[in-house]
Amino acid sequence: MAEEAGYLNYFEILELDDQANPGEVRKTYKRLMKHLVREIARVEITEERRSHYLREMAKLNAAVYILRDKGKREQYWNRRSELIALEEAWRTADQSDRDKCDALRREFDGKVKSFLSKYVEETMLEAGQDKEVVEASHWNPAHARYATRLLRHYRHRLYHAILERLPYHEVTSPSIDWEERAATVKQMMAAGRG
Amino acid sequence: MDLVAEALAKAICDGDIVNFQTLLAAFSPARESSTEVLESEKYAYMLPDDTQRSDKRFRAALDAVREEKTWAHIQGELQAKRPAQFPSGLLMMLADNAVRGQKYSVAAQAYELLRIRHKMLDEFLKQADEALAAGDIEKGVGGYLIAIGLSYDYAAFPEPLAAVSNYQTKALMLHGVYPARPEDCVALQEEETHVNTALEFLLPDEEISSRLRQYPLNVRLEFLKELVTQLDPDWEAFRTRYAEACRLLQSFGERLRRVAQPHTETLEEEIEEQQGPDPRDIIVTLLGREIEDGQWWQYMKELAYEHPAAVLFIARQLVGDTEILIPRFLADSAVPKVLGLVVESVEGASAAGSGA
Repeated sequence: MAEEAGYLNYFEILELDDQANPGEVRKTYKRLMKHLVREIARVEITEERRSHYLREMAKLNAAVYILRDKGKREQYWNRRSELIALEEAWRTADQSDRDKCDALRREFDGKVKSFLSKYVEETMLEAGQDKEVVEASHWNPAHARYATRLLRHYRHRLYHAILERLPYHEVTSPSIDWEERAATVKQMMAAGRG
Repeated sequence: MDLVAEALAKAICDGDIVNFQTLLAAFSPARESSTEVLESEKYAYMLPDDTQRSDKRFRAALDAVREEKTWAHIQGELQAKRPAQFPSGLLMMLADNAVRGQKYSVAAQAYELLRIRHKMLDEFLKQADEALAAGDIEKGVGGYLIAIGLSYDYAAFPEPLAAVSNYQTKALMLHGVYPARPEDCVALQEEETHVNTALEFLLPDEEISSRLRQYPLNVRLEFLKELVTQLDPDWEAFRTRYAEACRLLQSFGERLRRVAQPHTETLEEEIEEQQGPDPRDIIVTLLGREIEDGQWWQYMKELAYEHPAAVLFIARQLVGDTEILIPRFLADSAVPKVLGLVVESVEGASAAGSGA
């Protein structure tokens, strides 16, 4: 079974199935955004919460921006499906065939980075300039400035989530004994005191 | 090939990821197909000297390189016409040695390649928290400093230089707004806030420094004291200068208060009138040297670089049309006391030269 974690699913973000029509997308977006805005107004805003809410808002904005438009939606879903299939092909390939695996890895790595850049950073920031989105979320240039760094880190977190389950290629697959690691850490900390 | 094994063992022993990668790269002098010669003078820096050959850690690294399976893998990779796949066991050893040598950026990169950086960071924090809970502050601080060193993700956001603490810039941000009221001054915050500000400033990772909030104030104060000691071996020299600056401030106190009132005279006129020494001596005393035509922010940056914690106990002060930095602390706060900044005879520094 192909793994999907890390490949942002905008249908899931809007709690819709992939057959939802643009009307449903808009309606659900407005409902979820209203709920989010109310929650933001209700709680005390700390630095951590600010980052969380801004990221949630950016995700909802990007979801409606893409899914209400047939062209954008199809392109997004096709690229996502292609990536998932490519990852599966690489993971199930015979790892002893280094050349084949390397070719698959290169193709996958380029595509996954491009997908995440486009659909995590670019689209989320682009959506913040859309009239309908601005009206519902009150997204403004200050949000965009703050979100730039936040989304870059979010993109990298998703990349890591994908990377974790991929075969090793730069190093041989390590066998990690966490008890030995804990003992090494203990020894290093003791040695650090000179 | 013995030379290749020795060069690899040296890189592992030194925690040197650059030499390790170079030896296994497509252009490596260790490859038979290469026109470069590892034995030449040019690559002498990659080889161990006699002292290192007898070093226990080097011998362990050499044994690991020569281990049958690992050595076969290295030879195979050096013959293939592509960048080599690093043996994970050797990379792990290199990363551990890098931590031991306080080369945290190298360790972070190596652990990242092994995909265990986050877990290793968590393990250091876990054991540091255990040490703090057991009252071993020194070990706890050491663990937090290693965790901070491993927290930067070089693979995600590659930087031309290692990510180091940028206290110079952070200090200016900390003192970015002129304190209109004394309570706006960083140095005059109440204990709880001041110690948290100090830890956030000195530990450049918000997520890691916020973990310390779980500890009672006395533990955080002890932590801060130990942290300053480990980060700044010359803290004692700053303490001496700080006490001297406090004495100067006290002698200028009366005049500073008068000058801080609205007036028409310039600083030079005021000084001339007073025929006394220049109040800017305070800022020079704090830093320990004069910066030619130096502004307060230049002194602040230099001070933050040399003694990061110093900027937590000073304040901007307008004197005429010139701003200087003066020592400030709350005499009844435990924060300056624990760092040895409260000198009985000059406790008045907290009241002198109000920021208002």
